Amino acid sequence: MKISLNWLREYVAVDLSIQRLVQLLDNIGLLIEEWEEKEGDVILDIETYANRPDTLGHKGVARELAAALGLPLKEQSWPLAEISEMASDLVDVQIWDDDLCLRYCGAIVKNVKVEPSPEWLRKKIEAMGLNPVNNIVDVTNYVLFSTSQPIHAFDLAKISGKKIIIRRANKGESLLSLDKENIDLSTEMLVIADEKKPIALAGVIGGENSAVLGSTQDVFIESAYFDPVSIRKTSKNTGIQSDASFRFERGADISFAPEAARMAASLMTHFGGKVCKGIVDVYPKPRKTKSIMLRNHRVTALLGIDVDDRFIEHTLTHLGFQVEAQQYGIRKVKIPHFRIDIEREADLIEEIARFYGYEKIPIQIPPLRTLDPILDPIKEKTDKLRRLLFHHGFDEVVNFSFMDPETEKWFSSGSKPIEIRNPISQKTSLLRTTLIGGLLENVVWNRNRGAEGIHIFEVGKIFYWDADTHNERNMLALAMWGHVGQKHWRKKTPDADFFHLKGTFEALLVQLRYDPFSFQKENHAHFQEGYSLALYVKGEKIGYLGFLNQEILDAYLLKENVLAAEINLGQLFEKQSQPFQFKSVVKYPSVNRDISFIGDKSIAFEKIKEIIEKLRLPHLEKFTLYDRFSGAVVPKDKVSISLRFVFRHPQRTLHADEVDVLQEKIIAALRARHNFQLREGGKIDK
Amino acid sequence: MEDLKIQIEEKIKVFDEALAKVKDQKSLQELRNEFLSRQRGIITGLFNVLRSLKPEERPEIGILLNDFKKHVQDKIQTLHEKFSTPQEVAESIDLTLPGEKIYWGAPHPVLLFQEEIERIFLRMGFSIADGPEIETDYYNFGALNFPPHHPARDDWDTLYITEDLLLRTHTSPVQIRVMEKRKPPIRIIIPGKVYRKEAPDPTHLPMFFQVEGLVVDLGITFAHLKGTLEYFLKILFHEKIKIRFRPSFFPFTEPSAEVDIGCTVCGGKSKECRVCGGGGWIEILGAGMVDPQVLKNVNIDPEKYSGFAFGLGVDRTAMFAYQIPDMRHFYENDLRFIRQFSLK
Repeated sequence: MKISLNWLREYVAVDLSIQRLVQLLDNIGLLIEEWEEKEGDVILDIETYANRPDTLGHKGVARELAAALGLPLKEQSWPLAEISEMASDLVDVQIWDDDLCLRYCGAIVKNVKVEPSPEWLRKKIEAMGLNPVNNIVDVTNYVLFSTSQPIHAFDLAKISGKKIIIRRANKGESLLSLDKENIDLSTEMLVIADEKKPIALAGVIGGENSAVLGSTQDVFIESAYFDPVSIRKTSKNTGIQSDASFRFERGADISFAPEAARMAASLMTHFGGKVCKGIVDVYPKPRKTKSIMLRNHRVTALLGIDVDDRFIEHTLTHLGFQVEAQQYGIRKVKIPHFRIDIEREADLIEEIARFYGYEKIPIQIPPLRTLDPILDPIKEKTDKLRRLLFHHGFDEVVNFSFMDPETEKWFSSGSKPIEIRNPISQKTSLLRTTLIGGLLENVVWNRNRGAEGIHIFEVGKIFYWDADTHNERNMLALAMWGHVGQKHWRKKTPDADFFHLKGTFEALLVQLRYDPFSFQKENHAHFQEGYSLALYVKGEKIGYLGFLNQEILDAYLLKENVLAAEINLGQLFEKQSQPFQFKSVVKYPSVNRDISFIGDKSIAFEKIKEIIEKLRLPHLEKFTLYDRFSGAVVPKDKVSISLRFVFRHPQRTLHADEVDVLQEKIIAALRARHNFQLREGGKIDK
Repeated sequence: MEDLKIQIEEKIKVFDEALAKVKDQKSLQELRNEFLSRQRGIITGLFNVLRSLKPEERPEIGILLNDFKKHVQDKIQTLHEKFSTPQEVAESIDLTLPGEKIYWGAPHPVLLFQEEIERIFLRMGFSIADGPEIETDYYNFGALNFPPHHPARDDWDTLYITEDLLLRTHTSPVQIRVMEKRKPPIRIIIPGKVYRKEAPDPTHLPMFFQVEGLVVDLGITFAHLKGTLEYFLKILFHEKIKIRFRPSFFPFTEPSAEVDIGCTVCGGKSKECRVCGGGGWIEILGAGMVDPQVLKNVNIDPEKYSGFAFGLGVDRTAMFAYQIPDMRHFYENDLRFIRQFSLK
């Protein structure tokens, strides 16, 4: 809201430097966003709040300033040179829908000379950033910016049948607005109509058919109170926001309507106008003045300060409240109609705090009573997971939760995406159903900027419809592209490696104590056929990892393979993890046996693992695959596999011959099932 | 007897060969155990065999065996001494070569900053609460005292899914969800993503992070709100930061306040400062005393209990703290940007 300092001075004798003034207004909650000196005036741009329509005019701002400075608010009087002709004889005002129009006032000014406004009025209108139109239109704007009460001027001659009817629009009616826009009216919209047709969209914009033009002689001035919700809906539905609708939808001062009409009429007498006797005022259900009890102890309880009684009374009185002392420490406060925001005691306490000064309220540490903390194991696990991923060399990214419907097609996996009704753009009109799309965008972005290897992860939600229920699931996704780490003299830089990805998941699950878990070869729409694993934890599938399929890579113009994984963290974290338990360190030494086999390449390692596990060998602590190769010394289609077995007894040292027996069992089993042969030269006993 | 002699000779050969390969204390110890272990050592085993020989055969073999044992002991002792004295490092290593690159992942800067905020409040005994990102109109607006069709909703430009479902515009709905389940005292912060219908520009995004705070208890006052936020801001920035509370409006707090901090870039001295716009102050937090209607909506008696709430934009504050000129950088996920934060 623009405020002119000169205009403000018509209401309050403020005499402060601009810096002091800005600070003072900031301190009472009228934040000055900008100010500029202009032709001997200062224009302040004030941030206003949706609950304070009274500050949308100079008088309201002046009232606040006067209260802050302890100065009186100058009241202006608006004399009318009335002629004997009665306004009510010239126009018949009827409110048909008094739920939407609660008060309607009108004044008639005859024989005005419509012409450009005088200098003083032009300056005021220009100060508000508007172009002057003519003296009549400019007066209506002057009243609005002075008092925040919107008023409208009709050409009396154009009102058919001398009737002003305030009613809901009829089906099929339309109105050509002052801005020459044709508005199709709906039956929820309130209009001002004459006997035949709508002549204005109530509280929003006037009609072309009743506009004041150069030829106009007699003017009908409207000053009304319309239902805020109705005005807001009409403004939203028609897409028209005017200075009037902006104020009406926030709530005008119902008590001020006749005074605003009088003010406009009085000003028009300067342009030769003669005012008809009596201001028409249709006010079917006069609104009562609200009263609120204000208790001193509540002021202290909420603000943490004792406020002087006289300060409370002075401040509230300056702001236009009527204060009556009741019993000790309690006052009855009558609320003026222009303060639509004051409804409860707390609202009055805010008024006291504003003028007392927030800066004077002391700084205290709250009484930190002990309380049960809200435990959030999911947050704790997520934080641990993130730390582990940093450790494994993955950088964290955060992408927007939106998804392009074009992209979604590539990832569609059956669940119905959630659409945003009023998206920012078509490209952001869905909520994401996977995190992988975002990660691929990040891969492309970074690759195009010279990155050679990318290891990234994101923790975030995906969204989808499940029948009529909306779902949001917390997911973890990883993507790997290019080679791992930088080129370095000490290490080769292998390309993004599936087993690094798999190992990362194994490490995560072990460190989060989610045993048992397993990987199963399963296909999934996002991955190349035969190149993905499903991850099972405690028998339940929680996600996939693998090589992204060609279609998706093509969609992102990626030529090299991208490894990715996506798991449902919500589902994982719902499961109970193993409690942490300390185990005594066994002091007896282990017996290690390294065994090398040669077998068919086609036999999955999983099968070998199963055979060994099924033997249920006593004292076998663990076994690991420590070497695997094919080529040169190994026959075609065969592979050499080296396993290390670690045997240990908890209570004594194992004898070599005990272990020999176990070792023979392993060799025999692998021979029998898959014809594995011991490799020549393989070390057997250490 | 001849067999045993051959066996001893073989074992001496085995020992000498193994000894030649020993490179450190550990393998030396292993070798010692292999031959000299009292229970399972090779020499111990040979002595056991000796006992099974005829008495007349024993002396000859006994001498052989004792010599073998002494040979093993001496050699091991000599090597042990050699390994115990510091060795010169092989002269061919160039120690000025670069060390191995250890790659450590970097956290996303907004989440990193959010954690810093969380830590300060955890120290004050706050808990962390969480809630859904798709909310109903009731939790996002109604319960927080936004009347239907009120212009106040315009300040929270909303992305809708259905008539009733929307993407939460602030983390405040979680206040309601927590207060519905718990009675005072309540002391929580709520970090999370929020959504607005805003086209991306350097200072606005359709998605960003917010941290909301809520304290409800007996005797909570505006002075406590000031105390808590002053402490928080001084830890987050620095002890000497200028802090200003000024009146504002939020439907769910009364009285309401906006908290500004003094511009640390220009110190309020530059009219052209791009950070504070010349005003010298930067809006950092919205806050206030919990509106009595909000307490009533969750069946907490506002005559008995009072509380305060506050909220701040994590991205915005991080931009200011790290001097990042454009909020969009956070979501481009350029690794050259993100990786810098592994140093924080």
